[in-house]
Amino acid sequence: MRLSGRLILALAAALAGAIGRADEPADENKDLDLIPQAAQTPAKPAAQVPMPTGTTSKFYLENTFTQSWAQGGLLVPVPPPPPSAWEERLLFDVRDEWRLGSAVSLIYSGRLNLRAEDHLNFPSHQNVTNDLREAYASSEPLEQTFVDAGRINLKSGVALGFNPTDFFKTRAVVEPVSVDPVVLREDRLGTLMLRAQRVWSAGSLTVAYAPAVASRSAIYGDNDLHSFDPVFDRTNAQDRFLLKGSIDIGDRLSPEWLAYHEDGRTRWGLNLTASVSQSVVAYAEWSAGPRPSLIDDALRFGRATGTLAPDARAVLPDDAREHFRNELAVGASYTTGAPKITFNLEFNYNQAGFSGTDWNNWFRAGRGAIGSSPTAGELWYIRDYALDQQEQLTRSSIFLRADWVDAFIPKLELSGFVNTDVIDGSERVQLTADYYLSDFWTIGGLVLTELGGRHSEFGSLPQGGSVLLKVARYF
Amino acid sequence: MRLGTQLVTFALALLLGSAAFAQTAQEIVTATDRVRNPAKPFRTVLTLTEYVAGKERDHDVLALFSKEDEASRQFRNLVQYVEPARDAGKRVLLDGHSLWFYDPDSKVSVRISAQQRLIGQAAIGDILTVNLAVDYTSTLTGVEKIDDATHQPRQCWHLELKAANDVATYSRVEYWVEQGSFYPIKGKFYSDSGRLLKIVYFRNFSERLGAIRPAEAVIIDAVDSSLATTATFGESSYQEVPETWFQRDYLPRLQIK
Repeated sequence: MRLSGRLILALAAALAGAIGRADEPADENKDLDLIPQAAQTPAKPAAQVPMPTGTTSKFYLENTFTQSWAQGGLLVPVPPPPPSAWEERLLFDVRDEWRLGSAVSLIYSGRLNLRAEDHLNFPSHQNVTNDLREAYASSEPLEQTFVDAGRINLKSGVALGFNPTDFFKTRAVVEPVSVDPVVLREDRLGTLMLRAQRVWSAGSLTVAYAPAVASRSAIYGDNDLHSFDPVFDRTNAQDRFLLKGSIDIGDRLSPEWLAYHEDGRTRWGLNLTASVSQSVVAYAEWSAGPRPSLIDDALRFGRATGTLAPDARAVLPDDAREHFRNELAVGASYTTGAPKITFNLEFNYNQAGFSGTDWNNWFRAGRGAIGSSPTAGELWYIRDYALDQQEQLTRSSIFLRADWVDAFIPKLELSGFVNTDVIDGSERVQLTADYYLSDFWTIGGLVLTELGGRHSEFGSLPQGGSVLLKVARYF
Repeated sequence: MRLGTQLVTFALALLLGSAAFAQTAQEIVTATDRVRNPAKPFRTVLTLTEYVAGKERDHDVLALFSKEDEASRQFRNLVQYVEPARDAGKRVLLDGHSLWFYDPDSKVSVRISAQQRLIGQAAIGDILTVNLAVDYTSTLTGVEKIDDATHQPRQCWHLELKAANDVATYSRVEYWVEQGSFYPIKGKFYSDSGRLLKIVYFRNFSERLGAIRPAEAVIIDAVDSSLATTATFGESSYQEVPETWFQRDYLPRLQIK
């Protein structure tokens, strides 16, 4: 009986609760108060908003002003002229696409720059430069089979800080407004090529051939740029071939294999991404093939293009033999719950890059030299070459990046990265802020600083950092 | 003894009744999934208007291609940003665990995590097409009369949805579906920790893709209640979406014709 009594009470309570819920939804209707007054009225009838077409075009005008500061007490002085202390740039960036019937599309992407900086004559043709990033025709002769011809930006790689499989990155970056690897990837020239691609439901295959149409040229400085020139000498000085294929293994893993041939050398590559959890994506990017060290590559290029004397004696001990050398970027992204911040952490490795011994030799060879000496010229040429090739100079580094959308307030986007040289602990740190004033206006800025001792990669650079302010108008 | 027998019988009836309810709850959610979106592949344009502290802040326009996967019965979505101008051409592929973001400026497709998906407005397109009956198990918690987004009272089933797999974006959902019509009226979406993240009201029921469907959703950010977004479906039509479109290397090739 006592048990029955408890059951009756429990059931009565349950029934009372159920009946109570049936018609009294408590405060559910209070949620309606959260709908903004301006949104209380439903939008206009749906059918009046038509499906847009031709929507990949993008036009914007941007003005940037950069002020840099020098780093004093360099162990290895920089050859003249010294780096610019300020730069003012107005750029008009265009990306558009036109369809010729249903079979062929024409794609154009480019940037017109008006620039002024100290150490640059004004007015001169140097004040106006045009970057022809892409201009190509694209067609689909068979279903899901595409053929493209012209200047194309063919990019590969899943990492953020260093892309060993991005074979067409070399010499393609022209006067970037930021050293952010993400920006460097966007603002670069394509390569004149013929590309064919077949896409299946579970993978794709791409073949590309880029012919040699110009002679190799010396590394450009910021005061000897061409105004209106496609500069194929940067992108098409050798015959280049690329074959890459990807396949999905389930919906969590997608490997991509690459084979690249240039100048008698073949490199192999692999890109791998995996969805680990709701908030983590892991990735790895690797390439390898026979090649000499970065130092030897740089000196050969300098002699071949006339910047260094053909009989110039190497100021650094160097191994000219070709070895099978690896480049690797391995990392993961992690997105936090609230606030929403995405972190990317990577370990980057370039076997052909500077070892600790190479760095010691570099500083020892240049100590006490004067900036205009051949020794200083050759030492800095090696570093300029690595920059021009978009190759990681040092052997090992750790790259950490963070992106925060709606940081503190809506429409404020913060991003930053720290690139740390594992050998000497020096760091490059950059913080960027963009605020979207409206759909059309964006203001922003960035602060870059190089941290490290005088005997370190980033502490030995002539510029200690910079501040950039920008305003952009989108059309 | 008789009272005991009656109680046992009553308790059994309650248990059987709740089991029947559980089955019915899943059917209710399945039916309301069909009200929101058809089974055939379609494309639509989605206008997102964002409000901050009650004022209209800006808006995004997305082109959305959606197709139900025969195996998983879940929608796969391909989203292209049309507006604002600074984001034009960006694309997001949302296909179960396979989430990719393509930026025409960098020209690279990047795999993103489910959490990262929630950063962009493209996630709203995904949320609006999700088949809740596939990713969640449902139970009926009662029948309630609540006001819809236009303050009209609706007699609703009140359902409790729990994530049934790791594709489910939210851990738990409270869902109100109008009895008889199976119109979705309101949803509340919770995180793993039980925190209320979003409140969604469906409204503007009108003819779209061959049936009466909600043409608009009001999405309230429950974490920061000064933020709200309206998502309005525009021109919609049935369109065959080839399987290759859901391959990440197709993202740069997508053309809206």
